[in-house]
Amino acid sequence: MERLTDIIALVGEETVRAIAGLIGVLIVVVVNAILLTWAERKVAGHMQRRIGPKEVGPYGLIQPFADTFKLLAKELLVPKDVAKPLYHLAPILIFIPVLVSFIVIPFDAQLQVKDINMGILVILAFSSLSVFSILIAGWGSHNKYSLIGAVRSVAQNIAYEIPLLLSLLAVIFMANSFSLKDIVEAQKGLWFVFYQPIAFLIFFVAGVAETNRTPFDLPEAESELVAGFHTEYSSMQFALFFLAEYTNIFIVSAIATTFFLGGYSGPVLPGIIWFFVKTYGLVFVILWFRWTFPRVRFDQLLNFSWKILIPLSFINLLVTGGILKI
Amino acid sequence: MTLGELIFIFLLFVTFCGALTTVIARSLIYALVGLVATMFGIAGLYIYLNAPFIAMMQILIYVGAVAILIVFAIMLAGPFYKKPTEWSKVTKFLVSLIIALFTYLLFMRIILHSFLGGQDTAFMITTKDIGRSLFDKLTFPFELVSLLIVVSIIGALMLAIFSKDRK
Repeated sequence: MERLTDIIALVGEETVRAIAGLIGVLIVVVVNAILLTWAERKVAGHMQRRIGPKEVGPYGLIQPFADTFKLLAKELLVPKDVAKPLYHLAPILIFIPVLVSFIVIPFDAQLQVKDINMGILVILAFSSLSVFSILIAGWGSHNKYSLIGAVRSVAQNIAYEIPLLLSLLAVIFMANSFSLKDIVEAQKGLWFVFYQPIAFLIFFVAGVAETNRTPFDLPEAESELVAGFHTEYSSMQFALFFLAEYTNIFIVSAIATTFFLGGYSGPVLPGIIWFFVKTYGLVFVILWFRWTFPRVRFDQLLNFSWKILIPLSFINLLVTGGILKI
Repeated sequence: MTLGELIFIFLLFVTFCGALTTVIARSLIYALVGLVATMFGIAGLYIYLNAPFIAMMQILIYVGAVAILIVFAIMLAGPFYKKPTEWSKVTKFLVSLIIALFTYLLFMRIILHSFLGGQDTAFMITTKDIGRSLFDKLTFPFELVSLLIVVSIIGALMLAIFSKDRK
């Protein structure tokens, strides 16, 4: 114990905090992905009156580990005509926004890697990088399905990023801060979902679209595009794309929790439990969507955003601003 | 050399390499990757200069919006359009020399005539300061910019409407 305090004194508290934070973030990312691959199959099973995985471990809980080892043991196949630098860059690049986003999310009053005073901007700015890496993956794969998937993804992301930003802006107006922690603290009285129900719905729809989940999964529509932008990826590179996708679902739910559902605040139980209960509740809703809604057509997808969500979020923003000023 | 200086040199390196790739790359998509790297390098420099808000806006606007729009332009233009005629090597060299010299002189003028350092302590610009100065001191230029954007939106709409008939 004494040596530990010596080390902390030597390198400075800030550095220790940063390293501990990074390790914590990696653990959350991996555990979350393992949990979600299991939950997705289990939820899918029960929605269709099956029971899902059950052979490996109790309730099939060890199944994700088996899947992981299978993926790790597979050969890394690289197709002949791919643009090598782009092809190998994409799976790494898609992981940067995922890791950066975790830095500013407050899991509990004290449990946050760093409270930056423009936290939400960090998440939104870096999330644009994930579109870019999908594009690189699609372009670099030298495969028409990948390219079509990537182009769809870009069009979709442009359309849905605007209502996403505008709906969050209404909450930022109310909390008067970009810091996620301040936003949670501002909801001590009543959650923002009750003040801003329209903004919450817009954010959630746009968030599902941004993570490329059903009913907005056109970039990876299995029945049309094989697997979309990650058709040509195998083994661990494929696993990285999936890890990023599951973590993105978690991040969207975590932001929704922080902005609209009071984040870590709640009675009796410690904050971190409240945070995870709320977040995984929303994650479950996203998994639920997949087996409830059919995939939308592409023109429906774009029209819905440009003609309904964006005007609606503008009106919501104007009304919020007007009421706050009066 | 301190850690700060190392980070500064690294950021400069990223920005420089990205810019060089943007100019030299034969394939447009590689040029775009270079451009994105440059934007990240510049955003890093803003953070280094204690202006995180501008850094985040730089990434949000230039990587999130402008780079993606450039992608659209590349994909829509495709290989079907008529390629512009290539210039001869001498013309290329002369034009790039003129542009380089002009830019150099312009920037030297700006750098030499602007205030250099002066403050001993590092200062921090908060989002509040930026908002205050945008809506108090700089209201007129701010409104002018919004007018410019409105005009360009209307222009784009007109182009879209009138080119519909031609098809």
